[in-house]
Amino acid sequence: MIRCQALRWGAAGQPLTPPVDFELLKGSLTAVIGANGSGKSSLLKVIAGLQKPLTGKVFLDVSRKGSLSFLPQQQHLDRQFPISLQELVAAGFWGSKQSPELRSQRLNTAMEDWCLSGLEQRPLMALSGGELQRALLARLSLAQTPLLLLDEPHAALDELGQSLLWKHIHQWHAEGRTMVVVCHDLSAVRQHIPHTLLIKSSGCLFGSSTELIHPQPQTQVA
Amino acid sequence: MLAAAQLWQPFHEFVFMRRALMGGLVLACSTAPLGVFLILRRMSLIGDAVAHGILPGAALGFWFAGLSLPALTLGGLGAGLSMAGLAAWITRRTGLREDASLAAIYPISLASGVLILGIAGKRLDLLHLLFGSALAVDGPTLTGMLWVSGVSLIAMVLIYKALLLDTLDPLFLQTVSRLGPLAHGVFLTLVVLNLVIGFQAIGALMVVGLMMLPAAASRFWSRRLPVLIAIAAMLGCLSVWLGLLLSFYYSLPSGPSIVLVAGGFYVLSVVFGPVHGLLCRPPLLTSQ
Repeated sequence: MIRCQALRWGAAGQPLTPPVDFELLKGSLTAVIGANGSGKSSLLKVIAGLQKPLTGKVFLDVSRKGSLSFLPQQQHLDRQFPISLQELVAAGFWGSKQSPELRSQRLNTAMEDWCLSGLEQRPLMALSGGELQRALLARLSLAQTPLLLLDEPHAALDELGQSLLWKHIHQWHAEGRTMVVVCHDLSAVRQHIPHTLLIKSSGCLFGSSTELIHPQPQTQVA
Repeated sequence: MLAAAQLWQPFHEFVFMRRALMGGLVLACSTAPLGVFLILRRMSLIGDAVAHGILPGAALGFWFAGLSLPALTLGGLGAGLSMAGLAAWITRRTGLREDASLAAIYPISLASGVLILGIAGKRLDLLHLLFGSALAVDGPTLTGMLWVSGVSLIAMVLIYKALLLDTLDPLFLQTVSRLGPLAHGVFLTLVVLNLVIGFQAIGALMVVGLMMLPAAASRFWSRRLPVLIAIAAMLGCLSVWLGLLLSFYYSLPSGPSIVLVAGGFYVLSVVFGPVHGLLCRPPLLTSQ
């Protein structure tokens, strides 16, 4: 589904890693982990075609427009924007040719699925971070694309929201969709995501999550 | 105090007042959505910069063709668009912030305009270009304004959805469609077009006021985008009407009267507006 060849990315003249080759298969579920500033979000943007790679190429099996969904980090959004939660979620129908009845039915289902019922008319500025994150995920779910790129989907979500998120990620995985997830929560990655791409300035490692991530001891040393 | 009859009588009696009113009203309607989107896109000052920037084009048009509406309009449009384009190009190539790059270009543009007017022999009053006079709207200018307003409104309806998403969440729009840059380009062209046609009527600087003041005021009255645009258009129309009446009865210059009435609405909105106005606490937000 995604094949990267001698890929380097980052700011001009400052590649974040040596050239990287990897291939993510159709229907795979992969986590991207690494330290702050290691280039996880930029890698997603390069794959989504929102940022140009410095060298190398990214091949996708699908067209970039309309076949992939990208969940950006929510600080990109202007919270003062005069739009309601429902209008934000309904933007997920962009380019869809479904009938208005089917759309409104799917919109209602998505609102229920992400526990947003009752918040439809709330303006963006009156939403909590978690509610906004669930709205962005609901928008993503409406698009039904074969490739999903999620940048920190668990950000701002409480325990309930996180379990909702993992439930949906497993469901999308079962539907055969390809997913790449940037995630900081290593124990969650170990538990939920089969494969991991670890980005380090010395190079990238790709492998099974349980091998790449060692369980963290829960004790703290003073 | 103005009696009820006096509110309509000057427009009934004088053709030039009727034309000024008509032109002002259509301009207020077409600049309202532009102003609201300029504010949402954090480009509120672009209107000001472009209004200065169109001067050399208008001056060149005047030099070659005299006081002809198409020449002034085409010149202004060319200068405004090339200024906005040049600023955007410098920003893209060098990373200079867009506002800095515009702020650097527009004095150059304004100064060249004044220089060209000087060489051309000062027959065109600079004050008229910058501050205009709504009362000088003639038949062809009015027709031009009607066309520009009609075209802008139709174009805004067509690009509304794309422009909204490009403003709120450009990354999302980029992943689902290629329309973002197109919508941005059309939008900027409409801004320049409205400023150019407006500067013939109420003056380059005044039309910026008519574009931005109602848009800024409307933010204190609603949280919904279509309502904001409707309120901005309504406040703009009211400003044109009351401003023209003021200028008629008290012999004031029409452009500044219109803008000052709009300014009055802005101040009232800041103080009394229900959405974060000074006198109103933010409404309680409870889930239904």
